[in-house]
This record gives sequence, structure tokens and C-alpha cells, in this order.
Amino acid sequence: MSYKEHAQANQAQTLTSQPGTARPVPAVHDMPPFAERLQRGLEDENMHRALERFAPSWRQSRQALFEATAAEYGSDYSFAALRQRLRAAKDEAIAHQEELVARFKEQATAAGAVVYEARSAEEANRYIYELCRRKGITLVVKSKTMVSEEIELNHYLEERGIKAVETDLGEWVAQLDHERPSHMVMPIIHKTRQQVGEVLSRATGREISRENVAEQVAVIRREHRQAFLTAGMGISGANALIAESGTVMLNTNEGNGRMVTSLPPVHVVLAGYDKLLPTFADAMTQIRLLARSATGQPMTSYTTFITGPDRPGKEVHIVLLDNGRSAMRADPRFKEALRCIRCAACANICPPYQQVGGHAFGYIYSGAIGLVVTPFHHGLEAAAGPQSLCVSCNACETVCPVEIPLPSLILDVRSRVATSEGLPWLKRLIFGVLARPRLFDLLTRLAALGQWPATRGTPYVRYRYLRLFERLPGLRPLVQLTGWRSLPAFALRPLRDRIGDRANLAAARQEGRRSDELTVCYFAGCMTDRLYPEMGEAVIQILERCGLRVVFPRAQHCCGLPALNSGDRQHGVAMAKQTVRMLERALDESGADYIVCASTSCVVTLIQDYLRLFEDLQLQSWLNRTRALAGRIMDFTSFLLRVLVAQQRLPALRRPRSGSAPVVTYHDSCQSCNCLGLRTEARQVIRDVLGLELREMRDSDVCCGFGGSTSIEHPEIAERLLERKLRHAEETGATLLVSDNPGCLMHLRGGVDANGRPLRVLHLAQLVAEYLA
Amino acid sequence: MNSSALFAQFQSRLSAAGGVAHWAEDLAQAAEIIATHPALAEQRLIIPPAFAACQPWGALLPLLSARGIRLEEATIPERVADAPAGLSCASLAIAETGSVFLADNALAARIVGMLTLTHFVLVSAGQLVPLLDEAATLLQTLTRPGPQQQHYISLVTGPSRTADIERTLTIGVQGPRALCVIVVATPASDPSLSREEVKDRDNEL
Repeated sequence: MSYKEHAQANQAQTLTSQPGTARPVPAVHDMPPFAERLQRGLEDENMHRALERFAPSWRQSRQALFEATAAEYGSDYSFAALRQRLRAAKDEAIAHQEELVARFKEQATAAGAVVYEARSAEEANRYIYELCRRKGITLVVKSKTMVSEEIELNHYLEERGIKAVETDLGEWVAQLDHERPSHMVMPIIHKTRQQVGEVLSRATGREISRENVAEQVAVIRREHRQAFLTAGMGISGANALIAESGTVMLNTNEGNGRMVTSLPPVHVVLAGYDKLLPTFADAMTQIRLLARSATGQPMTSYTTFITGPDRPGKEVHIVLLDNGRSAMRADPRFKEALRCIRCAACANICPPYQQVGGHAFGYIYSGAIGLVVTPFHHGLEAAAGPQSLCVSCNACETVCPVEIPLPSLILDVRSRVATSEGLPWLKRLIFGVLARPRLFDLLTRLAALGQWPATRGTPYVRYRYLRLFERLPGLRPLVQLTGWRSLPAFALRPLRDRIGDRANLAAARQEGRRSDELTVCYFAGCMTDRLYPEMGEAVIQILERCGLRVVFPRAQHCCGLPALNSGDRQHGVAMAKQTVRMLERALDESGADYIVCASTSCVVTLIQDYLRLFEDLQLQSWLNRTRALAGRIMDFTSFLLRVLVAQQRLPALRRPRSGSAPVVTYHDSCQSCNCLGLRTEARQVIRDVLGLELREMRDSDVCCGFGGSTSIEHPEIAERLLERKLRHAEETGATLLVSDNPGCLMHLRGGVDANGRPLRVLHLAQLVAEYLA
Repeated sequence: MNSSALFAQFQSRLSAAGGVAHWAEDLAQAAEIIATHPALAEQRLIIPPAFAACQPWGALLPLLSARGIRLEEATIPERVADAPAGLSCASLAIAETGSVFLADNALAARIVGMLTLTHFVLVSAGQLVPLLDEAATLLQTLTRPGPQQQHYISLVTGPSRTADIERTLTIGVQGPRALCVIVVATPASDPSLSREEVKDRDNEL
């Protein structure tokens, strides 16, 4: 099947399996367009300051809690083990949904509840409204439910004359201010106490303190007491539906949930099918993960288990909502997103989310999971803008308590958006060139010759050289990109021109080999080749000084990461095949033992992303070929430590002179730490192998903001993340900033150069090469 | 794990959640803890209906009355709302999380823990268990269909709280502002079960 046929087949599948794109989804009322939401988010300094403050303290308490539990109860209670168990329980529930629904219904009905299955938002809304109408109910109290936001229940009821009062403090303030929650767990994290005081004063007609939070909280207790006692209906969500007993589990902190579900004579539970869990034991696993992941607290104050009505005359109605969930379940990739327990850890840890907040980073559902589920609940169009904010740092996947492969699902959404809306012309042009090795070679060489006006012979494209061109029509945005981050110059002599005999692959095989001699095939990556050949030379120098034979296949070219990262599978798959073919041939001709690459982004593309891509396109033979290659590929940092150092191949190094030795700080590239799990290796090299002083910066493993093309599409976000990163690096007092991924290094160097900061930015290989005696 | 180690664990978890745990050797000590608590300044305590007949806790009531405390049976929410203190009994206390397990079908019994300002919860040392898994087992039993089915069960872990406004932790939103759990070593005055036997039984846990 050609790519086009694949794309069409995928598109067809997308259309049938996604009600969101098959038929128009009614627009959510009052939702401003993405560009407006983004602008507001970027301008809201209070919000991103609050989110930036929250993130580190959340990370710390979350991690401390999981570690303490594992230390006390053993590895069965570690985060890894717990999430493995919950994932398995959720997968079972998804696989056997029909049986579980039948069991749940049977048990809940036997306990006296009424279970209604709603296929769409409209059906769920209508059922609840009809219930109100039949019983003459005009006042409804609600505890926090995201599903009700998803189907816009309040709006539906209010249009029909029924008042719905939110009783969760944050939801209530948002409701009073005609807003939506910007975070699934902390709905008004975007508001300051002054703003809350204002909203409450306006709503109550009394002067409420703008500063005293305790006084503000006390308002809700007073204001809602009457509503609780007179409302005809209470509406809640569910954190889990336990099939074995027909029980609804609810986790709350404020105590409003128990009142909503206890006091009014009718209780309606609104929950997606994704909330089903087989047993109470599974529910306990979820409890152990939920609050810790959500807010970094051990457990919510109240965990309530409701099994049918508690008294004669009381009614419990359980509305099970589909609204796109069965389409997700039918999709082999997206069904994994049904495991979500709505903890919002993926939002808490997300660097761009912290800059723009949940109104822009998502639709109704926010955070990484919001980007993934929005196409199914609210249509692909609703996800088109927000998905562009993802920097593919993969941090969300590391904290997800049910191991949803969020970053790759976001890329899947991105590629669906690209297929349906087409790529911007600039990207189409760039990827078109990238996919043609000879044209790319020619253009980069021409650029290297013609770039003088922008570089004046320096290694940087600098704003001060380009200012002249700012007035030219169309160039202004491009010029301004260099205002806060200088761009790298193309090397006049790319790495491929500096490798001499190493391009002769067959020579390596023909010459006699000692039994302990290792041959390494060096895959440089296009950034190193064209922009930073000196990084590549450092790698080669180290390998050869260790007595290894290095070959450099001249046919190597870009691995396709930029295209794949932008959702351009057409070019991406062509480049993936080209790279696999090239590496196979190189191994074959040279007999190399390893393929080493000093760009962890490329390594992740080669050993992880290709597999998923070929799997998706059902290209079985390419999948097998990639699997066979992947075992031979190693990132430079791991290779240095696990092969060169471990096998004592590294020659004696120059010891740093005390007093004049540089102080180093290390930036963990996202691909190194989040995808390859490298957290200690580079540090061992710096501290133990080189004997240098390493000072840890704050948030060393948080994205520097490069994020591939995101830094071009959303420069404001990239700039802020870079600014934070460089500030943290400077705070350590280090003079050297080291990392092991050229993408980050380009971004960091550009930032250092544009602002004249006193930092040297080096690849780990360059640092090591400096100490070769 | 013996009951004093379990209690220490329970106490630290509950206090991390903003609640307080006390150890009482017997009902007399439990009565002392309640009666001298600041929430009893008005000497008024809401109790669930038919608490007097509830084993083994009913025997506590005369001890409280003897100290001049007015015991009021909960009826409708309006009467219980914002009362200074209420008393319930739990089926389990879970050391892992500092939670108490409350099962009450009767709304009047539940509002004691929902609407009063300080909530006292009694639990016997024998019902103090290490892990949440025991709660799962009991939930399974209590939700089994039949006349004894429990429709409304809560794990309560500390007082009501919110951090919705600027993440400032504030205690006491809609529910109680204080939670005080009293773990009673020998709640039964039943002479057939001696202190030593209780200890032996606990050690086997």
C-alpha cells in the first residue's frame, strides 16, 4: 500500500471511528477561539506564576509519598508496581466492557439504582432534564464532575429553567465568573485571591475580603447550606464504577460531595464508561495513586462508596455516557487513553501548560490527556490549536498513573490534524527539502556560503546583524525569532567533509581485526553534521582514542524526526526507510559492532518512534528490520559509560587542576531522561570519570523549550522556558552548561549568545574530549 | 505488627491529614477525652439515633451524661448543622492512610459526621488494621445484596479541606473542621475477654 493509500485508509478509519469528525459536533457555547485563549493565557502572569510555583512542590510531595510507601511496604507498593496493577485492571475493564457493564447494571439495579446508558451528550442531558421535569425539580446541587463539563449540562438545564449550583468551591467561583475550570483537579488555579474575593463580593452583594482566604472559604459554607437543604436533586460524577457490587466511588476533599449525594431525594451519577473497574481491590489501587498524582496528598478527605439508594423514597440514577468513548475503544491506540483516572498529573508536570494554563492547553479537558481525548468528545477541530502546544518532552508519560502513552497519542492527533488541515507551507517546504538528501546537501552548502550578512562570519545568526532586514515585507517574524535566541550558522565544512577515510566502510572489514577490537558506525544526525561538526569530531576523537575503529556512512541523512514530530508522516516514513536501509548497509559493509549516536533525540526516533510508525502503517518487514537494528544502536552517553569506561578502554585523562577547574551544571535533555531513562549516567561521567565539580540546577530535567518545531510555532513559550532554564543554570554559579542532545544545545547556546550570558554550553562529548591527555 | 505500633502509624497518617488520634484504654478514658475537648465547651454532643443500643459503644453514653453532657440524637439536617460536636463509631481504622471506615444507611446517623463542626469517631483497637486492602474485603461483604446491605460507606481521612484558592490549605469547608478519632483498647466491659486476650488477638494480626 502506498503512503497515500495508507493516509486515505487512516482518514477513512478516522472518520468512521471518530464521531467528532464524522458529523459536526455542536460547538461548545461561549468558547473563544484558540488564538484568543492562547493570548489570554500568555498574558496571565498570575496564572503562570501560580502554576510554576505549584509544579515543583507537587513533584516533590508526590515523589516523597510514593518513595515513603515503597520504603515502608515494599516494592509491591512502589509507583511502578501500583501503576502496573491499575493499568492491568483498567485494561481488563476496557477489554471486557460489555460484561462489566452488565455486571455493574445487574448489581446496581438489585441495590435499587436506575442505570441509563446515554450514547451522546444530548441523550445524557435530556435524561437528566426529563427527570427534573417529571419531579418538578427546579434547583439542583452539583459536586465537581468533569463529565458534566464535557456535555455542558449546566447550560442545558439553565436554558430550560433549572438552576444548577456548583458546590465545589473552585467550580462555584468559576461558575459565578462564567468560566470553565482551567485544571481538572484545581479548577481556579488561574485565579488570585483578589480575583476570588471580587467574584464572591459581586455574587453575594456583600464585601468579602480580597486577602483572607479563610474568610472566602467560609462564604461558601453559608451560601450553600440552604441550597443543600432545598435542592430536589444532587448530581455527582464518579471516580470509579465498581462492577462486582454496582458501587459508585467518589473522592472529594471539601465534604460537599457527601452532602450532594445524601441530602436531596434524587441523586444522579454522571460517569463515562471509562470509569468502570472490576473490583474493590482495584479501587484501592486507584485510591493509592489518585490523590498522590493529583495534588501530592496521600488521600482525599472523603472516599465514598454508594451502592443504590440508602433509604426508602430516595432515588439513585446512574447515567453511563459514551459520547465518543466507544470510538476510542475501537481504536487500537486511543483505547489506552480510556485508562485515564483524571488526576491531572500530566497537566501538573507539563512545561507549556504552566505557561498558558488549561483554557489554551486543552479544550474542556486540559493537559496532555485533554489533547488526546478532545477529538473524540468535541471533534478534531477543537484539538487542532491546543495540540500544537505540546513540546514532546514526554514528561507526562513518566508520571501518568496508568501509563498512557500520551506523547505518542498527541503526535497521532497531530498527524490527524496535519492530514485533515494540511501543513503550513513553510513546514511543507522544509520537510520536502529534508526528505531529499542531495537537494538538502546542496541548499545547506549554498546557505553556508550565502549566510554572511546574517552571521558576519561568526557561528551565529544574530539579531543585531538582521535588524536591517526587519523592515522587509514578510521577513519581520523570521528576524524576530533571533531577538531572544541567536540561531546557529551552517558550518562551511560539514562533518561529512571532515571524516577522511572513515567513509570507506569496506576498508574496516578488509583490514585484519584483533578479536577485542570494536568497530563503531557513527550516526551523527543532521544537526551535528551541518551545524555542529565540532561535536561530531569530539565523538570520533574519543572513540578512536579508546582504540575503536570508527566508520561514517556518507549516505547518512536526517532521521526524519522533524517531519514525524510535526505530524508529517508522508515525509517521515520515507526518511525512516531511507535511514534503516542506510544503517543496514553500513553494518553489513563495515561489520560494525555498534551504531553510536550522540543525539538522544535521533536515538529515540530510531529505536522507539520508527517501531510505532511501522506498526501503525502495518509495515511488518520494516518493523522487523528496525527491531533488528535497534539492538545495535546506543546513545553516546550510555556507550561511554557502559562500554568505554566499563571495559576500561578510556585512556588516562588529564586531571583538572584544582582552582582553575570549571564548575559544571547539567541539563537533562527530555529524550535522554524521559524516553531513554538516563538520569545518572552523564553525571557519573562528569563527577567520577572527569573528576569535575557538578552543581545541580533546579528542575534540571524540565524541558529547555526547544521542543522541535514548537519553538518556531510558539516562540513566546519557547523563550520563557529557555529563560527559566538559563536562570536556573546561572543560579548554580557554574561556568559550563553541559547536555547530550544537540537540539537542546542549539537552543541553550542561542539563548546564551543573544543575552550575552557568561556560560559556555558544551556537548558532553566535547567536555570529555577536552580532558583527553 | 502489634496494636501500639499500628496505632502510632495510624496517628501519624491521620495527623498528616489534619486529624487527631487518641488512644484510650477503656470507655472511661474515651469519655474523659471527649468531655474535656474544647468542642464540648457547651456540653452538647450530637449522637446517631439508637446509639445507646449500639454494642459496645452504648455503654459510653451514661459515662458522658454523668459528666453533665447533653446527648442529642440526630434527626434532621437543620438541627445538626453547625452543632459544635458529634459522635460516631467506625467499623475499621486503617493505619496505612489514617482513615476511618464509616458505614451508615441512616441519613440521620451520617449527618453527624457531615454537618457538625468537630467529629469524634470511636473505633476499637481490634478494628485497627494495617492496609486499605482490609477495607476492600469489608466493602465486599457489606455491599453484598440483602437486607444487611450497606448503601453508603465512607472512608474519612481527616477533616474537610480545600486548597482551591491559591493552593492555600483551608480546613473546614462543607464538612467538619476537626476530626478526632479515639481508638479504644478494651471497649467491652465483657469480663470474658480479658486484656491479655485482646493483646494476644492483636498480636496475631
